[in-house]
Amino acid sequence: MKKLTALLLTLLLTLSLAACGPSQDAADVVRYGMSNAWDTLMPYNSPSGSNYTRIVCDKIYDRLAYVHADGSLDPRGASSWESADDGMAVVFHLDENAAFHDGTPVTAVHWADTIALMTDPDCPTLARSVFNVLAGTDENGAAIEGETLGAEAVDEHTLKLTFKSPTAPEDFLLDRNREFYVLPTHLLEGVDPAEVMDLDLWEAPIGSGPLKFVEELPGSQLTLQANPDYQLGRPGFDTLVITVMDKSNLLPSLMAGDLDYYAFGGNLAADDRQTAEDGGIEVLEGTVPNSFYELMLNNETISSSAIRRAIDLALDKEALCLHTTQGLGEPTATDLTPGTAYTSSLTWSRDVEGAKALLEEGGYEGQTYTLACTSNRSGLAALMQQQLAEVNITVTIETVDSATLFSGMAEGKYDMAIASHTPGALPLWFTESRFSTGNNIFHVADLAPYTTLIAQIKAAPGGPERQALVDQLQELLAKERPFIPLWFGRTLHAQSPTIDNIDYPSSSFSNENVWEWTFQAG
Amino acid sequence: MGRYIRSRLITAIPVFFGITLLVFLMVNLAPGAITDLMGEGAANDADRAALEASLGLDQPLPLRYAGWLAGLFQGDLGQSYFYNRPVSRLILQRVGPSLLLTGSGVALAVAAALPLGVLAAWKPRSVWDRLAAALSLLSFGVPGFVLCLGGIALFAVTLGWLPTHGMYAAGTFTSLGDLLRHLVLPAGVVCLSSLGELVKQTRSACLESLGQDYILTARAKGLTDRAVIVRHAFRGSLVPVLTTILSHIPHILGGSVVVEQIFGWPGMGSLLFSAISQRDYPVVMGVTVVIALGVLLTNLLLDLVYGLADPRVRYGKE
Repeated sequence: MKKLTALLLTLLLTLSLAACGPSQDAADVVRYGMSNAWDTLMPYNSPSGSNYTRIVCDKIYDRLAYVHADGSLDPRGASSWESADDGMAVVFHLDENAAFHDGTPVTAVHWADTIALMTDPDCPTLARSVFNVLAGTDENGAAIEGETLGAEAVDEHTLKLTFKSPTAPEDFLLDRNREFYVLPTHLLEGVDPAEVMDLDLWEAPIGSGPLKFVEELPGSQLTLQANPDYQLGRPGFDTLVITVMDKSNLLPSLMAGDLDYYAFGGNLAADDRQTAEDGGIEVLEGTVPNSFYELMLNNETISSSAIRRAIDLALDKEALCLHTTQGLGEPTATDLTPGTAYTSSLTWSRDVEGAKALLEEGGYEGQTYTLACTSNRSGLAALMQQQLAEVNITVTIETVDSATLFSGMAEGKYDMAIASHTPGALPLWFTESRFSTGNNIFHVADLAPYTTLIAQIKAAPGGPERQALVDQLQELLAKERPFIPLWFGRTLHAQSPTIDNIDYPSSSFSNENVWEWTFQAG
Repeated sequence: MGRYIRSRLITAIPVFFGITLLVFLMVNLAPGAITDLMGEGAANDADRAALEASLGLDQPLPLRYAGWLAGLFQGDLGQSYFYNRPVSRLILQRVGPSLLLTGSGVALAVAAALPLGVLAAWKPRSVWDRLAAALSLLSFGVPGFVLCLGGIALFAVTLGWLPTHGMYAAGTFTSLGDLLRHLVLPAGVVCLSSLGELVKQTRSACLESLGQDYILTARAKGLTDRAVIVRHAFRGSLVPVLTTILSHIPHILGGSVVVEQIFGWPGMGSLLFSAISQRDYPVVMGVTVVIALGVLLTNLLLDLVYGLADPRVRYGKE
């Protein structure tokens, strides 16, 4: 017993001494938290295609441009760009100082070869459809044999992308920039395209981004080093360590000084504002919307547009928005992001009596609808349930995880589901992918009216002509109500005193200006 | 003894495969798949179909299970869907930190629970007994995540003594002191979580022993209280206590999911947690294999240790 007690006391003493020891954080190390893991460091082989993977790859690999949250663009891999061939192509003038981490200069050939390799049908590229806007590819983004691929190295530093339909440079970059990275194709010469994804290179990747790979424990920690030769400037720190931890520990870690920043944009729930401020954290209010909430509807089980419109009128979006955003959001009648170039005159107001009339018109017979939501939105779902009960619509709530929610909607298992998305600056950011035969998640019986208008909007040159078509699409959506736009929310950003110059809102476009960050060890 | 071990190992084989089949069916029949997680707006049905085909998810379930079993017989636990790396490598990277965290937590709990449980049984209604009751209440009554967050709030945010997450300070060379600083809070939570059961089990087993005839005989022989307790009562209560201690071995192998997740500890628990939410079936199956083997071997070990702890236990015809 004495030995056991002595052993226990020794252990406790050792632990106590260690606990009281000084912090051993190295200087110039930015500690970056993430609540979910990236899956791969090969950007074209991501099964999740998640923003967590994108935000990590954004640091190792370079993209053509830097996209701000308000939709404005800055040079990155490309110094400038212009439209060509009557709007059918975009010419990118690449930054001549860009180089891979092994010292090899980045050329237009690298960009063209990257696109050629990833569109090669033999290469097992995941989410290849991101390339399907380019000429010479099929609808799934695979290169068509015998056709010229729309990615050409005009000269060493000029890249020309040719599209299937007229595309403005801004439209392309706002829509696809986050999916286009340049790979070190000089290291892939002679590799069978079918085996590209299995290379050890992707476990210690060489990119041309602002940070260099150092080491990784998959799903847990990633260490990156500042690239002193990055063409836009050297990051103001030596090392960046990304650690995966539970969401509940992000703010406490920031307050304890164990983190300097967390993805995305140090987003802070409104409920935590006071706690953060009391803990010495500066709280910034977001200036542009970074979330869009919708109520997904199953148009097969709720087949009457009158009933769908009745649900829209029955919901008190103001109260729902206030409940979720604590005043940092605005209810909406459309999916058009406020503050962008495209607007709508449609407005929203709650009308319980109008909803009841529409239910009668739609022949609602007291069916019970299933509303799916994730656990963090169960309170929101309960509010919706109460509001719909006021017009005698019965709803049962199913709390599921995200994967189950989306698969359940795709399979038609649920009648409604609450979802949120990162909004885009383009008028079709939401509708284009959801009103397609490949992803008809609302189970719309006749997609033709939507796809026709979407194609027309895409082909329109911009300005009033495109706005008129956008108005037509929004009017169609309001009439048919295949989904219910709820609100656009802004966020709060928690800023640690150790790090500065972060363009917080732009992380919603999966890019971060790490080369401009400045760091002062705490 | 050898024959007994052989027969136990043979009966463990169908149990092991039964466990793997059950887990395989549960994870594969659960709603949702990794293809449902493909990024919004960046993937269409063809992309999802291509991913399904590349992962073999388009094959019938029996064929997939047979394929997984065939790999297992060759020592291959498959490739992670999410990380595109061998599952065995991911597990090997994570098993050490899990053993360290839950092993040290449970070891601390055992070291504290045994003397406390014995003292509580020896001196009922004493301060030791009350302390044992209070710790048991804390251990049983407070959920693990509350202990984690409470510990972080007190020792990291308010007092600034301990780090909030990770195994080492970011960007530093690893050192024992640094590791211990990071270990204190999560191991403390694991310790507290295990403590209640161990204290209660030790106390009740000791109390039962103290009422036995052989204790009366030992006292009648004139042995001191300490000798009666340590040599006779404690040894007599070892079987149930050992059962409780060894039942923590699978927990040690599998890691403590909640603790590892909240503290960002790179162990098996956090690997399993993320694999489930990512529908990374090969990783879930791989971790299950490790835990299932741990459970089966622990059960065998328990039976063998009983014989050492209690001379009345005999194996088979021996």
